[in-house]
Amino acid sequence: MAGGQERVLRRRIKSVQSTRKITKAMELIAAAQIPRSLARILANRPYRLGMQRIVLEAALGDPAGAKKLLAMPEKVDVAIVLVITGDRGLSGAYNNATLRAGERLVVKLQNEGTEVRLFCVGKKAAAYFRFRGLAVQESFVGFVDRPTFADVQLVARHLSALYVDGEAQQILMVSMRYLSAGTQAVEVQQLLPLVMPELPADDQPAALKGYTEFEPEVEKLLFFLAPRALESEIFSALLEAAASFHTSQQRAMAAATENADELGQTLTRVMNRARQDSITTEIMEIVGGAEALRSRK
Amino acid sequence: MATLTVEIVSPEKALWAGPASALMARSSEGNFTILPQHTPMVGDIVSSIVRVETSEGEIAFAVHTGYFQVGPGSEEGETLATVLAGVAERTTEIDVARAQAAKEAAEAQLAGASKGDQPDDETYLIALAALERAELRLSAAAK
Repeated sequence: MAGGQERVLRRRIKSVQSTRKITKAMELIAAAQIPRSLARILANRPYRLGMQRIVLEAALGDPAGAKKLLAMPEKVDVAIVLVITGDRGLSGAYNNATLRAGERLVVKLQNEGTEVRLFCVGKKAAAYFRFRGLAVQESFVGFVDRPTFADVQLVARHLSALYVDGEAQQILMVSMRYLSAGTQAVEVQQLLPLVMPELPADDQPAALKGYTEFEPEVEKLLFFLAPRALESEIFSALLEAAASFHTSQQRAMAAATENADELGQTLTRVMNRARQDSITTEIMEIVGGAEALRSRK
Repeated sequence: MATLTVEIVSPEKALWAGPASALMARSSEGNFTILPQHTPMVGDIVSSIVRVETSEGEIAFAVHTGYFQVGPGSEEGETLATVLAGVAERTTEIDVARAQAAKEAAEAQLAGASKGDQPDDETYLIALAALERAELRLSAAAK
């Protein structure tokens, strides 16, 4: 009996150790991805800021025309919600936090009488919302770990087409923003109508006085600019989401590795005790047997 | 002193930034040149070759549609011209063989699409855009 218990423990230790190997490998891979995804956020920053500056300038150049693209409509009948999660799990609270925030937003909008069209990026989002009984209009998968601008253009084309046709009056995005290595937070961002971008104070160009020239005229420019601004915002959100995912996964896998270490240690101790017990019992049996033989003589 | 700083940025990375004497490109209303002290301006750039004149000669970029903004820079007398392009590359970095292959693939797709009764709108447009990009790359590399 005691020998059997020992075998079971040995098997469990082996399984914990091989799990540890996997989580350790995943931790290292995620850790290697972090600097790469951070570098991409940095590389994207000039474009994003430049785009925000242009939108701002164009909006200031033609307040009347900009109203259409910048002001909130009186009543939103149909809103598009874009939820960005990962394709893979094993990343701590990353997917769940985003999904919960997304679902809250959808329910809130529905309670206000707004029809919601749900768009998902990442396998986890589509699966979750289908399970919760919310219709997903379109789901984009396969690129969230390393998004390229072409992927984003595809997503943005779907969204802006609906907006331009007047089928939807508002586009909202739920995603994980990368604030720092220690903090990532879910954010709901309105993509269209465009929100007046807030520029850091020191970056405020002196040209923002409304005497800028436009080519072509500003109304036309804004019309074509809006989808580009949408792309730019989605792209930067995706880059930050990827960085958040890797950070979160690295943290989760580090914790899992630590747990496996601890569990392995505990199990080894239990196993050693079991082995010692069985040896002691065996010796007791031998001694007992020898005693019995001797006393018979 | 009047100086001009040019930035060419794409979403994936900042392609080039530095002092220049002139920036030449084409908007939907025609060719234009930006010199130091240019008035603040915002506009679009159609698929074309954008040239930057620097003290070390001319640098050219194939820009597949984008936007530009001209405004005063952070320094006194500095004019900052920013070109934002969804897709752009330096002409010296263009892979001619790849562009040629892409052109042929896009042409084949277009030929197939126009033969069908109802060409799928989106595929058709994507192929058309791909053809345009490939042609611009080839013409940019040839120069």
